[in-house]
Amino acid sequence: MTLHDLYLLSPELSLASLGMVVIILDMVLRRKGVLAAVSVVGLLAPLAFSISLWGDLSGEPDGQMVGIFNTLVVDKFSLFFKFLVMGIVALVVMSSVEYVSRLRQFQGEYYGLMLFSASGMMLLAATTDLISTYVALELTTLPLVALAAFLRDSRSTEAGIKFLLLSAMSSAVLLYGMTLTYGFTGTTQLVEIFERLGASLDATVPFGSHALFLGVIMIVAGFGFKIAAVPFQMWVPDVYEGAPTPITAYLSVASKAAGFAIILRVFYIGFGEISLDWAALFAVLSAVSMTVGNLVAIAQKNIKRMLAYSTIAHAGFLMVGVASIAARVPVGETTLGPSGVLFYLVAYAVTNLAAFFAIIAISNRTGSDMISSFAGMGRRAPFLAIILAFAIVSLLGIPPTAGFMGKLYMFSAAMKSDLAWLVVVGVVNSAISAYYYLKVIRVMYMVDPEGEEKIHVAYAPQAALYITALGILALGIFPGPLMTVAEKAVAVLFR
Amino acid sequence: MLPLDIAFWVMAAVGVATALAVVMEKDIFRAALFLVVSFLVVAGIFVLLNAEFLAMVQVLVYVGAISILIIFAIMLTRNAHEGNPFNSFQLPALVLSTMMLAAIAFVAVNTEWHDWDQLGLQVLPGDSGEVFSATEQGIKNVFGNTTQVIARLLMRDFVLPMEAASVVLLAAVIGALALVRENEGEA
Amino acid sequence: MLEDYFRQYGLIAIFTAIAVILPGSLLVVSWLLSFLRIRPSKPNDVKRSPYECGMELIGDRWPQFNFRYYMFAILFVVFDVETIFIYPWAVQFKQLGFFAFAEMLVFILILVIGWAYAWNHKALEWR
Repeated sequence: MTLHDLYLLSPELSLASLGMVVIILDMVLRRKGVLAAVSVVGLLAPLAFSISLWGDLSGEPDGQMVGIFNTLVVDKFSLFFKFLVMGIVALVVMSSVEYVSRLRQFQGEYYGLMLFSASGMMLLAATTDLISTYVALELTTLPLVALAAFLRDSRSTEAGIKFLLLSAMSSAVLLYGMTLTYGFTGTTQLVEIFERLGASLDATVPFGSHALFLGVIMIVAGFGFKIAAVPFQMWVPDVYEGAPTPITAYLSVASKAAGFAIILRVFYIGFGEISLDWAALFAVLSAVSMTVGNLVAIAQKNIKRMLAYSTIAHAGFLMVGVASIAARVPVGETTLGPSGVLFYLVAYAVTNLAAFFAIIAISNRTGSDMISSFAGMGRRAPFLAIILAFAIVSLLGIPPTAGFMGKLYMFSAAMKSDLAWLVVVGVVNSAISAYYYLKVIRVMYMVDPEGEEKIHVAYAPQAALYITALGILALGIFPGPLMTVAEKAVAVLFR
Repeated sequence: MLPLDIAFWVMAAVGVATALAVVMEKDIFRAALFLVVSFLVVAGIFVLLNAEFLAMVQVLVYVGAISILIIFAIMLTRNAHEGNPFNSFQLPALVLSTMMLAAIAFVAVNTEWHDWDQLGLQVLPGDSGEVFSATEQGIKNVFGNTTQVIARLLMRDFVLPMEAASVVLLAAVIGALALVRENEGEA
Repeated sequence: MLEDYFRQYGLIAIFTAIAVILPGSLLVVSWLLSFLRIRPSKPNDVKRSPYECGMELIGDRWPQFNFRYYMFAILFVVFDVETIFIYPWAVQFKQLGFFAFAEMLVFILILVIGWAYAWNHKALEWR
């Protein structure tokens, strides 16, 4: 291990250190308001390191730098997710300021844990080794469990306990799957797993071997939990409803992004030899997730619960891209599946964050998460209502929004991979989702308000709202640049 | 190998019996004590597998710490002496765990597990960095000194997950203490 | 391999066997003797109390314990897990050299923050 290794690790290192600094400052300082500012400004350090690393990559012949005994890889794929995670953290911290001021004395823990979790996500996107993957996953999840229970009322505590138990369970399943894989291949390195699988597969058995069959299914189950895919979604509605709303927002986009990052890396690199088998698995999961998520969302009265089911449905849409591996078969063909996933993740991040930020601002004042309490927001809070409506239109996937472009990329990737049936399921599901998404818009504009009091938003959350809304619009109109970057990022998956 | 076989079967029987007792026992305090025995037996099985370090971890963390945590949690729980409430998931749980057992047994028997030789693997580097081949002597060197080999792996190859684990532990301390805090204003 | 096992674990096995057999057989013998009327069975209230020659029992069987016990338990578990990482390092301390020493220093420093946090928030005080 050398200084260069430390440099490769510097974004994660500086982010985790930032979390520790926030915790220490919290012990020393009296004025807790500073902590949010420190968290956001401190993000500049990992950002600078990541930009510098991105620059250095152009000098590398194979587009990656491997360090720390092959457990860490710096490539455009991992850096893409680093930028995404940092952006999400910055926005969520900005939008939390007002919300967290209610907690008074535990703000340091709140921001610190969020930063720890973010460093875990960054690490998750950058590991090529199953053991590091597992530890990074725990680092991602454990702080989020504490944050979900942070309000300590009965709902929040229930959220925390359910999250803790089910994530422990899913970690166990994941570890068992990894163990079987290790037992079969004798290595935890993804690249070596790929090489050894090539030499030792039995074509007559699904997944090439019984051990891999069970192992891959267990790994899918473990990761499926993190990305909230059906049938591993049981925890999602209760946790989303009970957790503090900014944490719900964070969970719904960052945790999902990190989950898809590791899914793409493990399956495209490690299990590339048996891609057709697991692609079918993901296609089925995708169809089920979309359908279940959308159908159950219709019945929801609480907007956080509704968005929880919507996030399950969106996990389904994202898995369309994962399943579209056959898109790699024709030589010179675009790598639309995974790069579409990356695009969709960014689009979903800005969209869902915008929706949640508007909800935070509104329910901070009304004190309720019920959809009915959003009545007449078109008049009471025109600015928030228009952004929420815009975000919902993007979730629904209507142009000119980011959500539309995301779905477009997903579906065209599926078409290229002969997954026309999945596209049909997806389109039907988009139509179903219109029902419950538009209900919110209808309540905001067509129903009379309960009070006339206007809703004001503090400076920082307002900035976060502007940024996300702009993001939705920009990605909807000019998807090209981001897509180019995503294409470059996924190039490492196809070697 | 007869004595080892006897040791294994005794421990396996005790392990399964105590594990069943954990699930079936009505009094959760007794269930927790059965859990301790079951942890201990697992440590014994680790020893039989030449995994001394794991056995040590098992005793230190599970038998020593986790069981204390569980027993504390039971003692702090109101109404814990009323025992396990009736669990309507017993039958589905039985079916599910039987299926799981069947799947794992099937996989363990039917998979063509590769020997290290076949995969052309090298066993881990030794004290002075020399690489053992997958010969009997090499394997003996590794399995005779598991703690040393694990130390080298942990401190060298897997330094990244190890340091990440310390951050996980830090997050666990902070999260756990923040959740059991008293509101300082009230105290 | 087998001799190795006996050299290393034979004593433990013998110890465990005696620890199980001795009290177990005493119980069984006592139970058997009760059939032969050698062991008298004359229970009374004092004999049947949990601590025959100890303090008088006060209160419920299941008192409410102070939840602060739980904080100590949590801290104990966390630092116990830390020990797991230190143990192999200590075994190979000389061979691993300075690099591992620095590593362990970082590892412990990170956990010291957790410890300082616990101290700062008065989790280590008994109130």
